[in-house]
Amino acid sequence: MIVAGCDVGSLTAEAVILKDSQVLTSKIMGVRATAEKSAVCVMDLALAQAGLKYSDIDACYSTGYGRQAIPFSQKNISEISCHGMGAYWADNSIRTIVDIGGQDCKVISIDENGLVQEFIMNDKCAAGTGRCLEVLAKALDVELHELGPLSQKARKPINLTNKCSIFMELEVMQHVYKKRKARDIAAGINNAVAKRVASLSKSVPLKPNFAITGGVSKNVGVVSRMEKLLDVKFTPLTVDPQIIGALGAAIFAQKENGNHD
Amino acid sequence: MSDTLDIIKKLAEKDVNEYITQAADEGRKILGYMCSFVPEEIIHAAGMVPYRLRAVGSKETRLGDTYYSAINCSLVRHIFDKALNSEFAFLNGVVFMNGCDHARRMYDNWRNAFQTQGLGPEFLHMFVAPHTTSETSFQRFLDELRDFSDVLEKHFNAALTTEALQNSIAIYNQRRELLRGLNEMRKLPEPPIFGAEMLAVQSAMTSIPVENAVDLLEQLTIELQNRRIDGEGKLRIVLAGGAMEEIEHIQMIESCGAIAVADNLCTGGRRADVSVEEYGDPIAAVAKRYLYEVSCPRMIDEFDKRSASLEKIMKDYRTDALITEKLMFCDLWGGENFLLKQESKRLGFPMLSLEREMYGGGEGQMRTRVQAFFEMVRNRQS
Repeated sequence: MIVAGCDVGSLTAEAVILKDSQVLTSKIMGVRATAEKSAVCVMDLALAQAGLKYSDIDACYSTGYGRQAIPFSQKNISEISCHGMGAYWADNSIRTIVDIGGQDCKVISIDENGLVQEFIMNDKCAAGTGRCLEVLAKALDVELHELGPLSQKARKPINLTNKCSIFMELEVMQHVYKKRKARDIAAGINNAVAKRVASLSKSVPLKPNFAITGGVSKNVGVVSRMEKLLDVKFTPLTVDPQIIGALGAAIFAQKENGNHD
Repeated sequence: MSDTLDIIKKLAEKDVNEYITQAADEGRKILGYMCSFVPEEIIHAAGMVPYRLRAVGSKETRLGDTYYSAINCSLVRHIFDKALNSEFAFLNGVVFMNGCDHARRMYDNWRNAFQTQGLGPEFLHMFVAPHTTSETSFQRFLDELRDFSDVLEKHFNAALTTEALQNSIAIYNQRRELLRGLNEMRKLPEPPIFGAEMLAVQSAMTSIPVENAVDLLEQLTIELQNRRIDGEGKLRIVLAGGAMEEIEHIQMIESCGAIAVADNLCTGGRRADVSVEEYGDPIAAVAKRYLYEVSCPRMIDEFDKRSASLEKIMKDYRTDALITEKLMFCDLWGGENFLLKQESKRLGFPMLSLEREMYGGGEGQMRTRVQAFFEMVRNRQS
């Protein structure tokens, strides 16, 4: 059985194809002008890599902000459920998932079947998200992917006191003008974002084991700071944490269309 | 299909309607008000038409923001924006209430705009309701109702007789009874009406003369007898919150796989649940109903009663979950949400708190939260 999951978020789109419960291929790309275009592009890439056609896919489910607009999807499921199921599939000991995406972050509690039991999602601001990191990395004049490794070299991390992304950007610029070391500013940025997500986590029971997913999970600075703040250890996943949403959608497609593995 | 439902939905979509225009043409005065504690019966008994102010039709709050700040509730900012745009020019007076500080402040703002810009109408009255239900508060509220009656009589040269008040109580009770009848039908496994449609009904009924409301509701009751919504696979939810008039917001919630079969909204079911007693001193009966029976978080030390009432609604309507609706910067519902969350944990019912700006958009995040919540509720049930 071949199933697929497609996750169109605010910054990136991902597609995962499973064959007989194994990941056949996955693709990640930046979003296009519309959710539909993003979905078609990323799925075309995944299909081409796997040497498959749309007609070879037995079932495809969608998730992410663009989930309703995906033409080849038979059903859409919230990214909260998909991240829960995807992380569980990658490691069935996982019970709590922290997902930090482009414009939102969530803390998700799942049961012994990978199904969501509780969740919390940011609704006041986007200061604990990938977009915030993107803006602050730009203010520091470094690439987004450099923020994590750079912050690991910090000796005196700065303290970002503002809670708003825009004011944080101004604060970063002030530190740049004062010629503070980039590594210390990078650490301050990662710490600030980790702090926002950690404060959100208090509303959900934190049961071990823990996983962190979404694009920001690739930032080692944010991840290590989150571990300290929450006093937990994130279990490394066997699949790319950025494709977990799409993977979860594919698992649901598989479960609901015949194969219950 | 229900023709009457379509008529009512159209009424809910606009602020001025043919019924209000006709009443004005016939010489009846239209009195705007803002809160569920303002007794419509007294306004009606003075020969006028009570009309609840809504934000419907408002596209922005640019003018409203010259009097309010961005951290005030968007409902009052929209309504005052409409006032400053002369969209309430058809009103002969406005009754303000100390429901919350944001709404209360509108009295000051409107008065200032009247004095400095000539913003009508001239009759602007501050009606004050106590925040507690003690005997002293009851006496204070009775005095307020008598003062209110006197003010209306004097300003509008009206004769507010005991008989007129008794008649007004009777017809408003009739409206409540009809709304309760519709709510009863929502208890069915296949209810005849969506929650979004019911909100339209409830909203529209506050924007037209009560006599027309009774006629429309009687007709609607007949037409809904054979209407059924397929509830297969859909969750049954209850909505609680303050002012809510965005019908498309409820449609969005229901499109995620649910039917809102009950509500305890300020602009919804809360208005119909308890009638005014039709015996004894009518003004005391009005005081009793409005002071003791309006389930609103503005009332202090009444949470247990409100919670019990909500619990009963959830049981009677066999709901799977509760969604609370709060406007940003609403202190009253901020506190209520916190307390209800504790109750949801204690009693074990799933609860989702949504926060929004009135007519503020932002559907994407909201839809994700609602859809994930429904998925979670189903997981817990399975």
